[in-house]
Amino acid sequence: MPERVILCIGTKKGLFVAEAPRTRRGFALRGPFGKGVAVYSALIDTRGRPRLYASSCNAFFGMKVLRSTDLGKSFKETKSAPAFPKDDGRALANIWSLEAGDDGKDLWCGVEPASLFRSGDGGDSWEMVPGINNHEHARKWQPGNGGLCLHTILRDGNRVHLGISTGGHYVSEDGGSTFRASNQGVGAGFTPDPFPEFGQCVHKIAGHPKAPGRLYMQNHGGWAEWDGPGGPRPDIGVLRSDDHGHTWRSIAKGLPSDFGFPVVVHPHDPDTVYVMPLEPQTRTCPGGVPAVWRSEDAGGSWKRLARGLPKKESFFTVLRDAMDIDELKSPALYFGTTTGQLWIGRDGGEGWSCLFDSLPPIHCVKVAVV
Amino acid sequence: MTIKVLVPSPLRDACGGASELLLPAASVRAALEQLERIHPSLYRGICDETGKVRAHVNLFVNTTHVRDREGLDTALVAGDVLTILPAVSGG
Repeated sequence: MPERVILCIGTKKGLFVAEAPRTRRGFALRGPFGKGVAVYSALIDTRGRPRLYASSCNAFFGMKVLRSTDLGKSFKETKSAPAFPKDDGRALANIWSLEAGDDGKDLWCGVEPASLFRSGDGGDSWEMVPGINNHEHARKWQPGNGGLCLHTILRDGNRVHLGISTGGHYVSEDGGSTFRASNQGVGAGFTPDPFPEFGQCVHKIAGHPKAPGRLYMQNHGGWAEWDGPGGPRPDIGVLRSDDHGHTWRSIAKGLPSDFGFPVVVHPHDPDTVYVMPLEPQTRTCPGGVPAVWRSEDAGGSWKRLARGLPKKESFFTVLRDAMDIDELKSPALYFGTTTGQLWIGRDGGEGWSCLFDSLPPIHCVKVAVV
Repeated sequence: MTIKVLVPSPLRDACGGASELLLPAASVRAALEQLERIHPSLYRGICDETGKVRAHVNLFVNTTHVRDREGLDTALVAGDVLTILPAVSGG
């Protein structure tokens, strides 16, 4: 029986770990680990004995992967971090995603510049995945504001979905050997063609293991007023696919903005999905009033969830990996802000309270019950 | 010939805590190749995987930045000191 809730909080100045009983009362904070160094991705690997992983991306001295085998009481650097072959010409700039693979030590890692690596030994050695790294589109992708990053890795047996900013959605149906762009219905506001084959600024993709054909995407929206070539592109920011990502359609109607970064699916209901709309220009809470929005009918309608959140003067951003949901019977949402606050939304986001008020700017939040 | 490498504190974990290393090397490039072989983690902190010295890392031979000499091809003689210094920048 799982006994505690573990949060990994990746910040601009290192990784924090918070732990609480299943009641989610009295979170105790540890850290920072990888002191002073930015953490953009974390993984709580619950296959077998739990392991915690985090990237540690030092702008001065390069990238590391940190690993903990004691639930985040201590971390050690793995023997190596992902690296391009010497003759490739690319150099690792950041680590954006860490995901569990098949067996107990199989890990997947998305990096900047947008590429994918795999480890078969829990992060001690890494191999490049040529099917995406050497894809014919790879040298044509361009960096978004956050860099050219491969930020989403979603696996469903031999099907692997990748989210790349700005590259779009790519899917493999052979376990990651080959990939193809799969962006039908995914718009872009910054190209003359509103629906290009690839090159979209996908912010995050989420799914549910019990409904693998259903995917949700937070794309780069905010183009309703666009007056450049091709004209306005309303509602391209929040999308859904019901066919394993082959086609996508808008579910943005009813939201105050179709711009945002994270998208999170309820652990027990594939029809329930959460987003955090932001103003596209400032990328902050609309009107300075933060709210998470929830749909319980797969994007058909949306409900604003803001009880307990600030009612004014809050201009933070919630980044693509900074929202997560636990798997308890009545799950709680968690989001971290660029102003260093960590919020918990109990009862599926019905009531919010601030767990930590003054952390460094938060890049990612991961939760697990272990 | 033996030269001395001074390691800045943020990188000492990558070489067993040493603040100084003694190496046989006739050039800066040769010294880095030695580091890649004996302390790969330290090398990765100095150079990226293309072999380029990281943007925020400066290398000095005695008191002269290698860019003001022959870069990585700067020759070393016995007793030279190769200092690795991170640029003080950022926020």
